[in-house]
Amino acid sequence: MFIHNYLYRIKCIIRDKQIMFWTLLFPIVLATLFNLAFKNLHSTENFSEIKVAIVDNDEFRKNTAFINAIESVSNSESNKSTKKLFDVIYTSMTEADKLLEDNKIKGYIYFEDEIKLVVKKSGIDQSIIKSFIDDFIQTNSTVLTIINRNPEAINKGLLNNVIDRTDYLKEVSVSKSAPNTIVNYFYTLVAMTCLYGSFWGLKEVTALQANLSPQGARVSVSPTHKLKLFLASMLAATTVQLGVITVLLGYLIIILKIDFGNQLGYIALTCLVGTIMGVTFGTCITTVVKKSEGLKIGILIGFSMTMSFLSGMMYDKMKYIVSTKVPILAYINPANLITDSFYSLYYYDTHTRFFTDIAILCIISGIFSLITYLVLRRQKYASL
Amino acid sequence: MQVYKAFFKIISKNLSQIIIYFVVFISIIIILSNSNPNSVSTDFTEAKVNIAFINYDTGSKIVDGLRTHITQNANIIDIPDDTQNLQDALFFREVEYILRIPKGFTERLLSGSPMQIEKTIVPNSTSGIYIDNIINKYLNTVRLYNSSIEGLTEEELISYVENDLSKKTEVNVKASVDDTSVIEKRTYFFNYMAYVLFSVLILGISSVMMVFNNTDLKRRNLCSPVKLRDMNFQLILGNLSYAVISWFVLILVSFIMFGKYMFTTQGLLLLLNSFIFTLAALSISFLIGNSIKSKNAISAASNVFSLGSCFISGVFVPQSLMSDTVLKIASFTPSYWFVKSNNIISSLDNINFANLIPVFINMIIVIGFAVAVLAVSLVVIKQKRISVQ
Repeated sequence: MFIHNYLYRIKCIIRDKQIMFWTLLFPIVLATLFNLAFKNLHSTENFSEIKVAIVDNDEFRKNTAFINAIESVSNSESNKSTKKLFDVIYTSMTEADKLLEDNKIKGYIYFEDEIKLVVKKSGIDQSIIKSFIDDFIQTNSTVLTIINRNPEAINKGLLNNVIDRTDYLKEVSVSKSAPNTIVNYFYTLVAMTCLYGSFWGLKEVTALQANLSPQGARVSVSPTHKLKLFLASMLAATTVQLGVITVLLGYLIIILKIDFGNQLGYIALTCLVGTIMGVTFGTCITTVVKKSEGLKIGILIGFSMTMSFLSGMMYDKMKYIVSTKVPILAYINPANLITDSFYSLYYYDTHTRFFTDIAILCIISGIFSLITYLVLRRQKYASL
Repeated sequence: MQVYKAFFKIISKNLSQIIIYFVVFISIIIILSNSNPNSVSTDFTEAKVNIAFINYDTGSKIVDGLRTHITQNANIIDIPDDTQNLQDALFFREVEYILRIPKGFTERLLSGSPMQIEKTIVPNSTSGIYIDNIINKYLNTVRLYNSSIEGLTEEELISYVENDLSKKTEVNVKASVDDTSVIEKRTYFFNYMAYVLFSVLILGISSVMMVFNNTDLKRRNLCSPVKLRDMNFQLILGNLSYAVISWFVLILVSFIMFGKYMFTTQGLLLLLNSFIFTLAALSISFLIGNSIKSKNAISAASNVFSLGSCFISGVFVPQSLMSDTVLKIASFTPSYWFVKSNNIISSLDNINFANLIPVFINMIIVIGFAVAVLAVSLVVIKQKRISVQ
């Protein structure tokens, strides 16, 4: 009998086109859009050679030291292979002005008594150009000071010493994965989909409760134990929702190639716990709120959206802001817990935070189930 | 004018849903306007990168000097030195550069066998290169003095270094008239309008058209003594006034936000552009409203269409950051051309006919969309009428 109920509930659920759209198609559409819009976002942070023009006048040609300096960091002629600091165009003053006006270059350098820089606005690329020229001026000043104090130094290889630069920095990566902010958007999307599983919870409880649907009234007079019916319904909802999440994850990982790390077992665990949390969230709200179905749906959507927002679906820094400013909110927000589980798997080397998240998610699902159970059990109706 | 009145009765029944969109829009705009203060400056300010500076070589004057020097180009953010905190901060770009100075660094530096400082950065990032240069410059200057002049005390050394590093290049800024952050805000406002207009128009017009397309109701209406032409005319008028009212509510916000600017040529162009876009959005909503059969499908269609077209056409993420393929696809939506014109208009420094031509071309394309979609919807309506009766 249990299996019979279970299979029929699955059929009922799969045939509900509207909820199927919101739980399955909508997240896939959103994921596609995220992917289209954000694909290039990460690469804008990457360094690319800065386009800069130099006004090629007599004063510039006389300054061989500067020519040497700029040539060593630019790839105007020979060494195109390695990435350099600048991409230099030698040109006239009016031409440089025009290039700047059309945003073809970030700035131009010209010589008039001293080195001057013209830019259109402040920014990091402009600052790099400036710091390069600063560097040149400052080195000159250093050499002059040293020669004034100790004329001997020039014979002891001061100039070679100037050219021979030491790199004092060593890059240490912070984790096995790159800090790619974009993945967080997709993690919150999975979290949102888990929460949308609450629609199934709503549907199942409505179909079981005598006061919510005629079908529920019919089921209630049958001799089957209510808990058995309820468990069959829950299991059916969880099965379908798990299938939905699997399809979504498959789409994200295989087609969109979003990096979820490679700990498949833990990812599956997160999906399972997230699904159960989502479905029980739906049953809990449906049993507790005694008003119309429209209002219940409104509450479910409102909560899902707010929680997804707080875990960074619309603005990636939101998750960080919440977890540093109001940490308690990060721990009770199921969407954030799911996002955080994926994030920990992707980014951390240890599993402490992951298991904390999963444990809290289990507790939250437990609370939702308990509330649902307490409200659902032993209800009697004087009239319907 | 019964039909016209009925139109707005149906709208007012759905008002709560529509108002949500306006409220969300206005609150986002308010958050946005408070986020960065209007500082209009024509001076050059060096970019500042958020960094974490962790120092294990305490008591070293050179490291202190380095720290002070870096503050010209970086904001030092205090983050406790624990792996997860640092990882989180880097992932969400609270800091973009983490610097860890090992114990005994100064001693080794001055004795000529330096050890390296550990840095953790967003790989290949521009900010990483920027800060690298600044730190290496400081330390190389220290090394140069230390190796060329013997017997310098740390204080003398630092004073020399600081003296050198205070030499700065003169920078001229050929600035636009307005601060870029203000320009961004305006563009964002009008771009975001595309999303709100789409949602609001699809939602409102679909709910009305669904009622009027109900077969029973339609039959009843057709046997009323009102001429079909009158009825259609009133419906069109209703649609138009609904669209104009929605547009007006939105631009009212722009008048409150930007004040006088809206009466300049640029402001008026932005208004014209948004009005033309409203017409295109109206005719698309009209098509959707006439092709949709159930109430449940309305929210699905409005969400998918408004989110979809806005995402790919650069409403939420600037067009300059998107790949060419995506933009090619996006050029089949009016919002792409709308956003494009907005970006051009608000970044114009001097307005003359020549540089407004692309804007006008975009506007004509948007009008083309409006007309084409309207034609399609008329065909759809005709088809439906034939099949129903």
